[in-house]
Amino acid sequence: MTGTTTTAAPLVEAIGLSVRYGAKRAVDDVSFVIPKGRVVGLLGHNGAGKTTLMRALVGLARPEGTLRVLGLDPRRERVALLRSACYIPDVAILPRWARVQDLITLMGGMHPKFSAERARQLLRRTSVGLSDRVKTLSKGMVVQAHLALVAAIDARLMILDEPTLGLDVLSRKAFYEMLIDEWCDGERSVLISTHQVEEIESLLSDVLMLNEGKLVLSISLEDIDTRFVALSHDAAVAEQMAAAHPLLRYRTGPGPGGSAAIFDGAPPEHVQALGQRMRPSLVDLFVALTRKPELDRTQF
Amino acid sequence: MNPIYPLMQREWLQHRFAWALLALVPLALALVLVSFGQIEFDDGEADRIGTALPAVMTLVAVAVCTVSAFVVFWVTSVIIATGLARRDHGDRSIEFWLSLPVGHVPSLAVPMLVHLVLVPAAALALGLLAGHGLAMVLVARFAGLSAWFGLPWADLFAATLALGLRLLAGLPLATLWLAPVILMAMLARAWIGRWGLPVLGLVLGLGGLLADRALGQPLLLPWLGHLMQQAVQAMAGAGEVSFTARGADEALAALRGLPGLALQDLGAALGALLSPAMAVGLVVSAVCFALLVDWRQRGSKAAD
Repeated sequence: MTGTTTTAAPLVEAIGLSVRYGAKRAVDDVSFVIPKGRVVGLLGHNGAGKTTLMRALVGLARPEGTLRVLGLDPRRERVALLRSACYIPDVAILPRWARVQDLITLMGGMHPKFSAERARQLLRRTSVGLSDRVKTLSKGMVVQAHLALVAAIDARLMILDEPTLGLDVLSRKAFYEMLIDEWCDGERSVLISTHQVEEIESLLSDVLMLNEGKLVLSISLEDIDTRFVALSHDAAVAEQMAAAHPLLRYRTGPGPGGSAAIFDGAPPEHVQALGQRMRPSLVDLFVALTRKPELDRTQF
Repeated sequence: MNPIYPLMQREWLQHRFAWALLALVPLALALVLVSFGQIEFDDGEADRIGTALPAVMTLVAVAVCTVSAFVVFWVTSVIIATGLARRDHGDRSIEFWLSLPVGHVPSLAVPMLVHLVLVPAAALALGLLAGHGLAMVLVARFAGLSAWFGLPWADLFAATLALGLRLLAGLPLATLWLAPVILMAMLARAWIGRWGLPVLGLVLGLGGLLADRALGQPLLLPWLGHLMQQAVQAMAGAGEVSFTARGADEALAALRGLPGLALQDLGAALGALLSPAMAVGLVVSAVCFALLVDWRQRGSKAAD
């Protein structure tokens, strides 16, 4: 990401990327890089532009600016791109008329890097049978089936838009474990958007945060600790904390010591002495960077 | 990796049960009718045809069965075809198909080929075979099984083969003639949804009248009518050939002449392709197809 140096060509490179729907800019002048071997979280409120960005990456939205995915123009070279990238959109969208085995057959014929045997192996770990018709499956089972099919593709880049929506916690954990243990091998990258930020924070190497189409943060998780400072403090020093203009002040729990503040960069020493340094969570950082200012400090 | 076969396979996997029903139910009904129904001839007709009656019955049964099977499947296929562009938007599975490395052009063209050419062609073949089966029941019932065995099989085989091949060869030609109308219908349904066809009818009707007034002579509606007429003649009747028989000998002679008539008719149908109406049709078809590809590129957002 920004600040990470690598000699290998990045898997994704966007420069001044914008996507319009009519007069509205759903993605507005976004620039970032995704090297190989990274698990990148794409965070943003509803309507922030996450889905639009992902659709642009797979050639389904017409972008302005420069966008190269696996060295290809997604719009002009969509078919070649999708041979080495796999994509799950944000809803469970398998064709309802098909049986799971039919989908394995069709994907085997249409995708050169799809392994039918691998798909069957992954499906055995779920509650979905090969002869099940998609329309008879619950939403969660459809998601499980879709994830198994996509994970059976030997792709270099996986783009997942809310992939675990509808899955129970056990299935979500199983999917993340499969992703990290079996799919990510240091050469492939994953771009994943989700609202369950706390769940995947430990899996991520980098994060992109979108707010109203704009990229407000593009950083590795290692650099978050370097750049952002969170201080837990007593309520008694709340005013002094506020005077230092943190990005966000919030409650960490009940009791007199249950407050914290996040600063972008190191706060003045006298402010640091008022509290105890802690690691800002992605959720708190996300809120700090994307919450509307009029809802911020005046709440305390 | 060639996506043509898996795209065709998709159509088979999605529609095979409906196709089976469409084939078996009418066939079963026809079998019941032939087994238990009555045939009436005009006064003296049966006597006039005489010993050629079993052969004529066979040919008529094969022709009726073939044409019926074709019409049923073709009408169904055209209805399906007009909805092809939008069919995966209802359950949003279009996003799944778009996530696969298959181009927009084959994704649209192959299903059209299946529904507009291959399925009706299969229906023709099925009709020919089923027609012979029904003919056997018919002939056995009215003239005895020995009459069926005594049919002029060489002439019948040549005649039914000629009929089948003529229809099979005419099918892609008919599809070419109708392509502009079908593609306009596909585009209208893609853009507008279920109101697409009524709106298209309105636009073509009103547009035709306005164009007639502006140009001072009818153009659009006669062109559309010409396309329909040529499509029918592409299947049969392009060469204005006729088939009549007033007696057994004439019936058998006509039967023997059927392959020649079919070939002549096909030649006329091929010659009819070289016309300004076809050229305009091809341009309209190409534009509509390009617009459909552009629409498909936008995925599920296009249907929102």
